[in-house]
Amino acid sequence: MTVAAAPTDDGTAAGTAGRDGATWRWRHLLDVDQLTPAELELVMARAALMETRRNDNPPRDLAGRTVATLFAEASTRTRLSFELASRALGADVVSMDASSSSMSKGESLVDTVKTLEALGASLLVIRHARSGAAQTASEHFSGHVVNAGDGWHAHPTQALLDLYTLRQALGADRIAGAKVVIVGDVLHSRVARSNIWTLTAMGVDLWLSGPPIFLRGFETWARALPAGRRLTVTGDLDAALKDAAAVMALRVQRERLEGAGAPSEAAYAARWGLTEERLQATAPDAIVMHPGPVNEGVELTPEVAAGPRSRITRQVANGVFVRMAALSLVRSTDAHR
Amino acid sequence: MRTAEAPTPGGRVLGIEGAETRVGALLEHLELDDAWIVDPSSGYEGRGGITVEGGLVTDVRQTPDATGGPPSVVVTPGFFDLHAHVREPQSAEAEDFSSALRAAAHGGFTWLATLADLRTTVDRTEVVQRVRAAAAATGSPVGTRPYGALTVGQEGTALAPLAALAAAGVVGFSDDPRPVGDSAILRAALTEAGSLRLPVVINADEPSFTAGAEANEGLPATILGLRGASPAGEVGAVARAIAVLRQVTSEAPTDVRPHLHVAHVSTAESLAAVRAAARDGLHVTCDVTPHHLAMHDGWIGGDRRYTWAAASAPWSGEHGDAPPYVSATRVEPPLRGPEDAIALLAGIEDGTITAIATDHSPWLSVDQEVPFGDARPGMSGLETALGLLLEAVNAGRLSLKRVVRAMTVGPWRVLDGGRLGLAEPAIRAGAQANLVLFDRADTWRVEASALASRGRNTPLLGRTLPGRVLLTVAGGRVAYADASLNG
Repeated sequence: MTVAAAPTDDGTAAGTAGRDGATWRWRHLLDVDQLTPAELELVMARAALMETRRNDNPPRDLAGRTVATLFAEASTRTRLSFELASRALGADVVSMDASSSSMSKGESLVDTVKTLEALGASLLVIRHARSGAAQTASEHFSGHVVNAGDGWHAHPTQALLDLYTLRQALGADRIAGAKVVIVGDVLHSRVARSNIWTLTAMGVDLWLSGPPIFLRGFETWARALPAGRRLTVTGDLDAALKDAAAVMALRVQRERLEGAGAPSEAAYAARWGLTEERLQATAPDAIVMHPGPVNEGVELTPEVAAGPRSRITRQVANGVFVRMAALSLVRSTDAHR
Repeated sequence: MRTAEAPTPGGRVLGIEGAETRVGALLEHLELDDAWIVDPSSGYEGRGGITVEGGLVTDVRQTPDATGGPPSVVVTPGFFDLHAHVREPQSAEAEDFSSALRAAAHGGFTWLATLADLRTTVDRTEVVQRVRAAAAATGSPVGTRPYGALTVGQEGTALAPLAALAAAGVVGFSDDPRPVGDSAILRAALTEAGSLRLPVVINADEPSFTAGAEANEGLPATILGLRGASPAGEVGAVARAIAVLRQVTSEAPTDVRPHLHVAHVSTAESLAAVRAAARDGLHVTCDVTPHHLAMHDGWIGGDRRYTWAAASAPWSGEHGDAPPYVSATRVEPPLRGPEDAIALLAGIEDGTITAIATDHSPWLSVDQEVPFGDARPGMSGLETALGLLLEAVNAGRLSLKRVVRAMTVGPWRVLDGGRLGLAEPAIRAGAQANLVLFDRADTWRVEASALASRGRNTPLLGRTLPGRVLLTVAGGRVAYADASLNG
């Protein structure tokens, strides 16, 4: 539903064809819900290429282009990752963040987007607290929009880098059928929503667990998924962890834990925090992931975060390659225009 | 003198004469033959014709035995809307009385009960007079009367001067779009309004469930990451209001008749509560909007199927016909799941819902070019109501007779229109003409340029709707005339 721009007629830029002939169709990357397994493979292949060539002549796919990053919600890490990816591809980067921008003085999102376009930006990377904001931006921007997180809705590049990291750890051919668990505040998580789309598309046996008040509605979603997609929702974390190949802890937003009916931070850590002891139930070589930044002692113990299972710093590094791939792919759709 | 032929052979407008069909002009002469008359006040639905002379209906001819299929030109009493927001004076750029009444006439309405902009509170007689003067100054033949506020400043803490407001001409009391959170205030309001024989109109809402809500709490909100408003909020608020009504009714003197009206009911369960209370003999009524009947929360995801088409396979993330997060699909109460809308359709057919009200909520498009959750809730509804309802009729989900009843005498009775001196919606010889002619077989395309309202905030833009309004006559005067009549 929400890779909203219609696919371009031809997205057949050189280098965008996948092994099975798939080509990239999407002018914007607003969501991952519509990405087919072949398209996900295309991103993975492109990201692998970027990783291989990161220090050795990376493709200058964005040479002469300006990427604008518009972060209406603070996120230094994601913004830096996008900026490094853009520069690595030869782009100029202009950045606007919430605290310093005219948006804090009441300028609307649409006005800001139009201003960035007038300043010459042809790619827009947007982070916003409202679900659907990237969609709104795309309706008023003539270039490419890459969603860097909109409200609770989607965080496409995070889901893609999570998939990339999983494939590195498990092996690309062991993704289908692998049991992966997402633990935490699923309700408020764009990371969880995007991972639901990508991981179930790739055949993962996906489980969601966490405080039941934060799981509401997801069992209904699980039942409504197309046949062949596997999603299990449970309030029993130990059942979820049993024999899992990978566990993703979601970041707890402290302010949400203060909300009506939510557990306190201490209660959360006791019941849902990942400890070495609790992780004994997983497969022996199971990995632990987290979108960062980690609240140590809440979602994970410091031992788990720094331990041998952790792929958290790997995720950060992979983020740059995946974002290079995403920017390069959306840009490839205007090659023949 | 002008004579025009209606565009289909189904019904013939034999002659429209007089001061042409200029808006505001007295309808000197109209002779309509072989049309389809739907007149709930007499109970007649069938072939027939009418004659209007000098603004008065002079003849109604019922010809039920005429042969041939039903003609497509339908004549009914003018529509009567219980719930239209007009933004004058505080946000008149979004809709003033002039544009609202043009929109009403284009939609077939001859009378509106209006609610103010949030920033204007009708809690003093001067405000009632100012609002009524603004409506009168338009010169439109479409009638209007405002609701008064239930509480001072619509703040929910002190009762507004209801008797003084009633004397100034309000038709009921409402704090809409705010809920009535305080049960003691509701009790006092129902008692005082009951002694004035006016309804208390509530927006049934439980703020702890709906504060900050963007959409119905359901699968589309889960998938789209929108803050959900639980249906339980509305259900609980309706149940609580009914409990208060029951208590007030049992305690009040017999000449005080408390009347609770639940505006824009949106869930199956709150409708069931109204049905049960009415069966117990309580004076409780409700209305529903056309959009809560025809649309569902999948519309937020880009699904553009009507309720009846979506009910068997609700939206679950598929790429829709339209982009997701269209601001105009944000309404309060939110569009619910298709199963709720199906129950509401049944509520009209079984008579529990006696009125269809537009909850017309115009906003300027430029103000709605914002992320979904920042959009102002509401949909422009006066001009698309008939089309959406005819879609339901064409799909076999509503009968034309029930629709017309719920658009005319149903809401008139909710307000006890006779007591207020409002003409009964009827097609009756000797009465002033208040009627609408529309062609069921003709369609029109909903486009910004086709709308008289300044609020183009509707997800129906670009869509073709059935039911072209040909002529709206209010108080014997022309309120709207389709271009084809002037041809």
